[in-house]
Amino acid sequence: MTLPEGTGPLAGVKILDLSWIVAGPTVGRAMADYGASVIRVESPARIDTARVVGPFHGDEPGVEQSGLYGNVNAGKWGLTLDLRVPDAQEMFRRLAVWADIVCESFTAGVLARWQLDYSHLRELKPELIMLSSTLLGQNGPYNQVSGFGSQGAGMAGIQDLAGWPDRAPAGPFGPYTDYPAPRFALTALLAALDHRNRTGEGVFIDQAQAEGSMQLLAPALIDYKNGGPALQRRGNDDPQMCPHGVYPCLVPDGRGESWVAIAVASDEQWTRLAELLGADSSLSFEQRRQAQPEIDAALSEWTSRRFAAEVEETLQSAGIAAHRLATTEDAANDPQLEHRHHFRRLPHSLHGETVVEGPRYILSETPIEPARPAPQYGEHNDLILRDVLGLSDSEIQDLAASGALS
Amino acid sequence: MLSPYRVIDLTDERGVLAGQMLADLGADVIQVEPPDGSSGRGVAPFFADRTDESIYWAAYTRGKRGITCNLADARGRDLLLRLLETADFLIESSDVGRMADLSLDYETLHERFPDLIYTSISAFGQTGPKSHYVGSDLAIWAAGTPLLMSGDDDRAPVRISQPQTWGHASGDAAGGSMLALHARHQTGRGQHVDISAQVSAAQATLAQVLAHQLGSADPERYGGGVKIRGQAIRGTADVADGYIVLLMGPGPAVGHFANHAVKWLVDIGAAEPELLDENFVTYADRVATGNADPALFPRIQDIMREAVATRTKQEMLDISIEYDLLLAPVLDIVDLGNSPQLEHRGFWQDIEHADGRRVVYPGPPLNILVDGQQQGICRRPPPELGQHNDEVYGELGLNPGEIDSLRSEGAI
Repeated sequence: MTLPEGTGPLAGVKILDLSWIVAGPTVGRAMADYGASVIRVESPARIDTARVVGPFHGDEPGVEQSGLYGNVNAGKWGLTLDLRVPDAQEMFRRLAVWADIVCESFTAGVLARWQLDYSHLRELKPELIMLSSTLLGQNGPYNQVSGFGSQGAGMAGIQDLAGWPDRAPAGPFGPYTDYPAPRFALTALLAALDHRNRTGEGVFIDQAQAEGSMQLLAPALIDYKNGGPALQRRGNDDPQMCPHGVYPCLVPDGRGESWVAIAVASDEQWTRLAELLGADSSLSFEQRRQAQPEIDAALSEWTSRRFAAEVEETLQSAGIAAHRLATTEDAANDPQLEHRHHFRRLPHSLHGETVVEGPRYILSETPIEPARPAPQYGEHNDLILRDVLGLSDSEIQDLAASGALS
Repeated sequence: MLSPYRVIDLTDERGVLAGQMLADLGADVIQVEPPDGSSGRGVAPFFADRTDESIYWAAYTRGKRGITCNLADARGRDLLLRLLETADFLIESSDVGRMADLSLDYETLHERFPDLIYTSISAFGQTGPKSHYVGSDLAIWAAGTPLLMSGDDDRAPVRISQPQTWGHASGDAAGGSMLALHARHQTGRGQHVDISAQVSAAQATLAQVLAHQLGSADPERYGGGVKIRGQAIRGTADVADGYIVLLMGPGPAVGHFANHAVKWLVDIGAAEPELLDENFVTYADRVATGNADPALFPRIQDIMREAVATRTKQEMLDISIEYDLLLAPVLDIVDLGNSPQLEHRGFWQDIEHADGRRVVYPGPPLNILVDGQQQGICRRPPPELGQHNDEVYGELGLNPGEIDSLRSEGAI
């Protein structure tokens, strides 16, 4: 007994996904895309924050309205379990035995209280692969810090490093540790699956999402730890590129502002930009750094008389990195994203249609389409309890009566 | 876990993390550089005691072996092809079209090595109207949409001061390569994995990249927070020695954290005990029906900001753990370098370089047990230029004399 099998390289791989919000669910989404059967477990008694964070369908908040929840859970099967209820814990145990991979992101120690942590599940199934993903990891003095990737961004050093030197940190957009973390987790889980298939050995992965994010700060961390200066936020300055920044452009009708990003990486690129600006094309990098306020002013004056799209095209034609600061409407109309078929429209029983991002990998011989939109609460409870766990109708009714499914 | 697999890593600074992720999982990763060194060796920062040595390059080649090979030379290309006979993965991040110029593009190599997984990392992708655009961290952030959402509302949008986007793309390259490996187990065939850094950057929007298509308004930048439909939401607060991330809100998803915050405020005498009767999980619904005071929650937020302002980051972290609050310190690089949490987890790795120096690196991105046994990271130091030429070319069956003449002829 099982769920309808997916298609793709992970067809037949069974995943029990108890993670929540973004960092964990993103991993299961990628594996569902490529054919894995992913059962997403959640409880309406403790609402997944992703369900109450936008963007919402039609800008209307609601637990079945979130495009974020939809984006990170497309292709999964949905089951509701309240793990505080013993009968729900028993269902979890049986599903863990069914699964090849269990993903979870409870605060460290919570699953152990219910005897559902790796050490207990491993006794039931030695070859199990399990990902436990938290902000700061399973051990250590601060392993009990709970929260979102926004707290993670603070504790991974990212929040402090985005902004202007004369101001409080502006921070990156959103819960930043949720962005790098799933990339490390997915790669490791796929390696673990490969290893288990060859050797039969199980794998446990303890992920501190902050430590994943810090891999992207590795140069700054190594610098400081080995006697160098501590990197501080520096606006849009770059130690090796000049000019380098975000410049104002003519504002199209209906918009409040418009900007273009420009990065000049070499003397040759500066020569070509200087010709467009009517500036001194012979300036070296050091000279440009000295004259940066004047250069930025001249460049701003030049860009502010043009639309961002025009600046982008003119500079790219001259071999200089430039791009308009895309709005999400720009993204929807970006011919490159269109070319990559990045946005996927899926039929949806509540919304008629929904939109999710496609996978972030184009595999030339393995094209994919998400099999279904993200599950609504309890959408596949009967299917999972009956076809995966073999429960009878009356057993399912008893389970519901115990509160296990709420 | 990946010890059966070999990766030929042709990346420069744009994709160099991808191979390291596979090396840290056990793969044999061979970084291939031109005879005069990768452009990545010129990327800042540089070691304080060796100002010609790139920390950036060291950071992401740790764990790899390193060889030189002149791909512009026919003999160099021939050597690469011999090496690829032993490889499972090739990863490259050169300008789009460059590999075709060298007759080392996917189509050519797939014909010769049908089981090779060939992963390309570029700013916008291998094909399409922007595939020949010049990429750079700032421009990629702009193209993926996160940049417009980041910064103070009265200044230009701002990026993170350590470039990030190629790291995100490299992470997707590692994941995509592993998906292609599982596909190869099914079909016996390799394929082309095409990574676009623009798409990778779009992930750093919390799905807001979909906002327009879902009929939702774009979030707008606001220092330390965000503006939604014009309403500013600050997600940080000032404390005595810096800043904290502080999220407090009513509602079913986070209201219990607000209840915990009230408990703390009452315990320190900053708020009246009667407030313990309020439940912020249901508060918003009751405000909507006229059964709760809409001014109450903003007042508590003000009390909270006042209470944290006189305390340090460390004090607030301890309180956050004790009371279970949605609150964490904004740590800077110095704080991270001295973090007891990272120390406890053995995050810092002391690795001896080929010249005998000991250099401290950030540790494994993941803590992994295989069959109950702890796995370490690959502690191999970053290779010096051509450090493993004799070893790797020797494994191909070349004798030292042949390697010497290839070197003197400029092929490697």
